[in-house]
Amino acid sequence: MAFHRASSGVSDELRDVNAARWPMGPQYTKQIFHIHELKDIRDANLKVFRDINVDETNILNWNGLIVPDSPPYNKGAFKIEIVFPAEYPFKPPKLTFKTKIYHPNVDEKGQICLPIISAENWKPATKTDQVIQALVALVNDPEPEHPLRADLAEEYTKDKKKFFKNAEEFTKKHGEKRPSD
Amino acid sequence: MPKDVDSDILCFLRKSENGLLEIGYTVRKVASSQPLVSEKISFEVFGSEYSDEDLIYIHKLEDLKKRYTCVRRTRGDGNCFYRAFGFSYFERLLQDKKELQRFTDVAKSTRDDLIKLGFPEFTIDDFHENFMEVVGKLESEFTLTELTDTFNDQGLSDYLIVYLRLIVSGFLQKEAEFYTNFIEGDRSIKEFCNQEVEPMGKESDHIHIIALTNALGVPVRVEYMDRGEGDQCNHHDFPDGSKPGVILLYRPGHYDILYT
Repeated sequence: MAFHRASSGVSDELRDVNAARWPMGPQYTKQIFHIHELKDIRDANLKVFRDINVDETNILNWNGLIVPDSPPYNKGAFKIEIVFPAEYPFKPPKLTFKTKIYHPNVDEKGQICLPIISAENWKPATKTDQVIQALVALVNDPEPEHPLRADLAEEYTKDKKKFFKNAEEFTKKHGEKRPSD
Repeated sequence: MPKDVDSDILCFLRKSENGLLEIGYTVRKVASSQPLVSEKISFEVFGSEYSDEDLIYIHKLEDLKKRYTCVRRTRGDGNCFYRAFGFSYFERLLQDKKELQRFTDVAKSTRDDLIKLGFPEFTIDDFHENFMEVVGKLESEFTLTELTDTFNDQGLSDYLIVYLRLIVSGFLQKEAEFYTNFIEGDRSIKEFCNQEVEPMGKESDHIHIIALTNALGVPVRVEYMDRGEGDQCNHHDFPDGSKPGVILLYRPGHYDILYT
């Protein structure tokens, strides 16, 4: 799949893609809104969430790299995919880990159930960077009380030292390379 | 159930037997054949869904007919209170320019109130600007047909609903000290707003109606048509003693619009 890394700012290319797909109307406003939100996140220049790529044929699909800063996940980085539904912002975006992670709140398919983006609780005025911050907080601080993987939650609760050792090894083996800067 | 239904898959967390939270899915079906806001319909058409033997409702319908001329239905998607209120009030604003001027000023000020409460400027502005754009069109641009079309365009209509929900949330948070007494269960006003006000599709109770009418200074009458005793519908004005121009019909779980 070809991803286009747009330079910072609202690229003309994206705007063209957009105008072609969504003629004037509320959806158009929504897409412009979307591009601004993307620009906002890129401009924030977060160390923990970077390399944001947008699928050039569909601006509703984003990919990015989570670069955790605390152990045991600070030995690697994790690709995530953010898919915005056509009904966005009335329905929440969906986040998936594309890189395997040893974490009580992420299942083997990379699915994550983050309360801020559950269909029940989603608030249309939520900004995407709030979603990302919630995700980063969950990665850095697992919540074993709401696990998707009960085995890892149990290990995390009963033997944190062992969990950290396993998670670190797993991250070194399966994680993405961390950016050098 | 109508044939034409949207399935909405919800992801939820629940406590399993061993105390762990588990992830699950449920499917909610929403009838999409029903317009978001219907044309005006007569009580004959409106009442046709009730059996002749359903005496409580038949009597209450007769009572409504004495005082009102027709009804507009709204879609039962959990946003019906906001949609019915918004449409009925905007319809009135098409005729009442003085009230429109007052409302425009009030609606403008809601933006700063929300920002002061810590709502993200970026997304609030998006919803606020869209809302004000529609309000601006009520001055001279819109005909009733265009207003109806706007409310039946899912995207445009939902943008308005989101903003009305934000106004309710902002008002409750601003007046948290008072309204916290009316919240059921062990939750703060902020939690209540996060769970019961801001998410789309969450139904409205008295507290939402009180908040919206107070925040905007727009009184509302609600006629209650339920299985309660008596041949007449009871009504309640929000706030008490006001002279509402917006009149809604409540049947358990749903709001429609009434016309005198």
